[in-house]
Amino acid sequence: MPIDVAAMGKSSRTFHRDPQTVKSRPLRDRVLELEAEGEWIVHRVPEPYVELENKFGRVKKVPLGHTWHHKSCGQCGHIPGYSTSIFWLHRKLGLDYRDPRDQTSCTAWNYYASATSNSAAQAAVALRNFAAAYETGYFPLIHCATSYGHYKEVREELLASPQLRGEVRRIMEMMKKPMVMPEEIVHYSEWVHAARHQVAAHKVLDLSNIVATVHPACHYHKLVAEDAIYDPDIYGGQRTAVVTATLKALGAQVADYSTWFDCCGFGFRHILVQRDFTRSFAVQRKIEVMKEEANPDVTITHDTGCVTTLDQSQFAARAHQRKVGIPVLSEAQFCALAMGAHPYRVCQLHWHNTETRPLLEKMGIDHQARWREFEADVERLKRGEIEYLTWEDADA
Amino acid sequence: MPSERVLIIGGGPAGIEAARSLADLGIPLTIIESGERLGGMPITAHYAALTPSFEDAEQAMGRMIAPLLGNPAIDVHLQSTITALRGAAGNFALTVASDGTQAEVEAGAIIVATGFQHFDPGRETQMYGYYEFDDVITLADSERLLKEHRFVRPSDGRPPERVAFIQCVGSRDRQIGNEFCSKVCCGVASKQAIEIRQQLPDSKVFIFYIDMRMYGYWENQIYWPAQEKYKVNFIRGIVAEVLKKGDRLVIRGEDTTLGRPMEIVVDVLVLSVGMEPSKGTREIAKLLGLPQNKYGFIETQGAPLATVVTAVPGIFAAGSCTGPADLEDCVSMGAAAALKATALLRKKAPAGGG
Amino acid sequence: MGCETSKYAAVSYEEKLRLFEQVKGDERFAHYLYGCYECGVCVAVCPSARFYDFSPRWIAQALAREDADLVYKFMNEDVWDCSQCFSCDKCPRKNSPGGLITILREVAVRNGLKSAKDALEGYGRIIYKIMSTGTQVAPDMLQPAAFPDWGPHVKEISENLQWWRRALPPETLHTTETSWDVSEQTLRELYLIWHVTGVMEMIKEVDEGLHMILMDVMEEKLEEAGFDLEATEED
Repeated sequence: MPIDVAAMGKSSRTFHRDPQTVKSRPLRDRVLELEAEGEWIVHRVPEPYVELENKFGRVKKVPLGHTWHHKSCGQCGHIPGYSTSIFWLHRKLGLDYRDPRDQTSCTAWNYYASATSNSAAQAAVALRNFAAAYETGYFPLIHCATSYGHYKEVREELLASPQLRGEVRRIMEMMKKPMVMPEEIVHYSEWVHAARHQVAAHKVLDLSNIVATVHPACHYHKLVAEDAIYDPDIYGGQRTAVVTATLKALGAQVADYSTWFDCCGFGFRHILVQRDFTRSFAVQRKIEVMKEEANPDVTITHDTGCVTTLDQSQFAARAHQRKVGIPVLSEAQFCALAMGAHPYRVCQLHWHNTETRPLLEKMGIDHQARWREFEADVERLKRGEIEYLTWEDADA
Repeated sequence: MPSERVLIIGGGPAGIEAARSLADLGIPLTIIESGERLGGMPITAHYAALTPSFEDAEQAMGRMIAPLLGNPAIDVHLQSTITALRGAAGNFALTVASDGTQAEVEAGAIIVATGFQHFDPGRETQMYGYYEFDDVITLADSERLLKEHRFVRPSDGRPPERVAFIQCVGSRDRQIGNEFCSKVCCGVASKQAIEIRQQLPDSKVFIFYIDMRMYGYWENQIYWPAQEKYKVNFIRGIVAEVLKKGDRLVIRGEDTTLGRPMEIVVDVLVLSVGMEPSKGTREIAKLLGLPQNKYGFIETQGAPLATVVTAVPGIFAAGSCTGPADLEDCVSMGAAAALKATALLRKKAPAGGG
Repeated sequence: MGCETSKYAAVSYEEKLRLFEQVKGDERFAHYLYGCYECGVCVAVCPSARFYDFSPRWIAQALAREDADLVYKFMNEDVWDCSQCFSCDKCPRKNSPGGLITILREVAVRNGLKSAKDALEGYGRIIYKIMSTGTQVAPDMLQPAAFPDWGPHVKEISENLQWWRRALPPETLHTTETSWDVSEQTLRELYLIWHVTGVMEMIKEVDEGLHMILMDVMEEKLEEAGFDLEATEED
């Protein structure tokens, strides 16, 4: 009987992740084992949570609310609409959260840039923040993919080394803080993914004509890869599902491009002191390829460094007549816009470099009117009529 | 009263050779095979030609099976599985489930030859787009196309201009936990590369490898002809990514000989997937109480000077249920298991019986 | 090898060996390097390998061969080209060339190598920011002189900074010198971490001036917090 060649293609193949075939021990088991041995307290994921599938086919619990927001220095400092949008989404969905002052940066950007630190210091910074979250009863939700990646690395190191645990314990005792490890290390984009259908249900814009490309963050899906979220319906389960599944849930079109796996070119030290590399890589390996192969209206990513690099690197390239000009947003901002958030009061797009107005127009947002409103806010601030813009003002 | 019968689980190359050897020795035997036919992976996976002989797989396996058919001392149960085991060496009783019915078979010794399955190339870390792109196929898919003399792109049915193989997919990988070499893929890929060049003389074929493992005569029988006569391009370096560009595939890796990143456009990409214990192997090991190694293969005792002895007296294992094995290994082990089983039956037989 | 240039000091083989032993002595080393069969996966996915004469495979090979000469060369030159993206974690042997580079850099800093000081030239203000305030990328770092290639947009932000920060609804983000408002007690705890883990000594090795400034900022606050630093010196 002759073979049906067409039936040999991918349509005949369905991938099922089988955790039984995975030979490494589940991370959660190892974390809980150390709790049973009295080494630390495991901060349990609060209910309600959503059970997602990780790269090894194991269940990952992602909390919906009651979260302690581990902010990102790069987001809060340079793209504050990123963090603001994450908070705004929580408020709109009626989910309880904490925005703490008792939080430091993970300090990993500096560590990966300059190496002026060490394992013990990095682990102590992580556990100090985890303890601070535990003391409030709220579960850490990590905004930055580098913090997320680095904390996963720290967890690996602590699991492997009794000596390192001893060192960190000594420091925690000096601070009179408990040794705490969260049951799961959760990135905010996993939270967005878990809440994507709720977000879609509150959508006020038709996004069916918006074409987006996706850049998955290296420190999200490459660094301690097991924790990343996968879904057999997204890219056949072969690439992380976060961001892409959210865009699809919102009804936007996701276009592919051949350098999706490439890093953005951030480089940690390079973005700060060796930007020729960062610019070249971001433009030549990412933006120009997206432009040529997909010509998207926007590129969406889920990390501090990637938004910064992809957005800021386009300015100099434009001066050299290169094919650039793709606005860069986080999916948190895109979700917020879809739900009717103010592009300047909430998404704070004026902090972005690459022009976002054509995108807003295509999304059906009157950016001129919105900008006039924001300018009026600033005038009120300058006149001393208001001290700060409040959440109520943001939705006025 | 000890049973004089040997029960063989699995009708692939190792099981068939065990059966042939027992028949030659005049030992009654039963073969339990879960599939519809005898012949094992070369038949079920539609192999084109055997490695390294290039003999037609269907014909070669047919010749091997022929003496088993119509022999009254050989009892073959197809589409059957073992569901329970009682007794001990010399007096085993096994429950055979077949088509909704259950029957009991007595045996003095058991030979397990339940084989391997091909690694699923969607798993964990080596993601080469098998579940994303039509024109990414596995060694097994490729055998099937070659067998029909229709080596084409599944996406549009057209013959490819450029074909690449990626070696060690699912093997030699600590991330996946399969640290072993699957032993046959270098030879099979090179054999297929020759067949592709024979069927499509205008095609260009690349093999990306870490080490080419062409033991003994495989070197001069396959590797050298592939390189010298059929001009297959062997490139040292493993592909890291597979991407789609237009309607073709782009593969990225490092040419480690030249020490530079490379990108090559291909029409068909063949993943040289390695061996893992078959589902049947994993299940039967549990049912019969046979220890498995960390990869799930059945652990044999006394290696390297014994090859088919398991931890359970009276139960022997042969072929790729014990670890990666080529056809020669499987057949040799099948014969060795038959001999060990026969020796055991003779020892257990009543005085004067042997 | 050992083709030292003016970029870094020519040192004795014993000195190179001493540095290599420090690298090997890091607890992470055994988890970051198993063996290398030169498959090139790390190079294929490496952004830095596309722009520099750089190869994560060479780093893994040099360390696996325990070639102290070559390791010294890489420690001085190549390690600063790495992007620390960890794409190379795809290694089938489960090596982490990026992680090895983290260790190599750390040893270079801890030993005050000239190449490390050079690599960190102009970077001191960022170390100062993160270590003294607990957040790294502060809004007030967006100055046109620091980011000329980002265009006039940076100037616009810097001119409007105080108003645009106040126009942020989250109450923690009204800051200009830090990314968010970090509480005093939190900072004291952070300073404690830097002191007791030997990070201050590392800073002293690469930038004495910066070390002095940081000590000035930290000492008083640590005293206020009642942390007894004398008792925390590592044994």
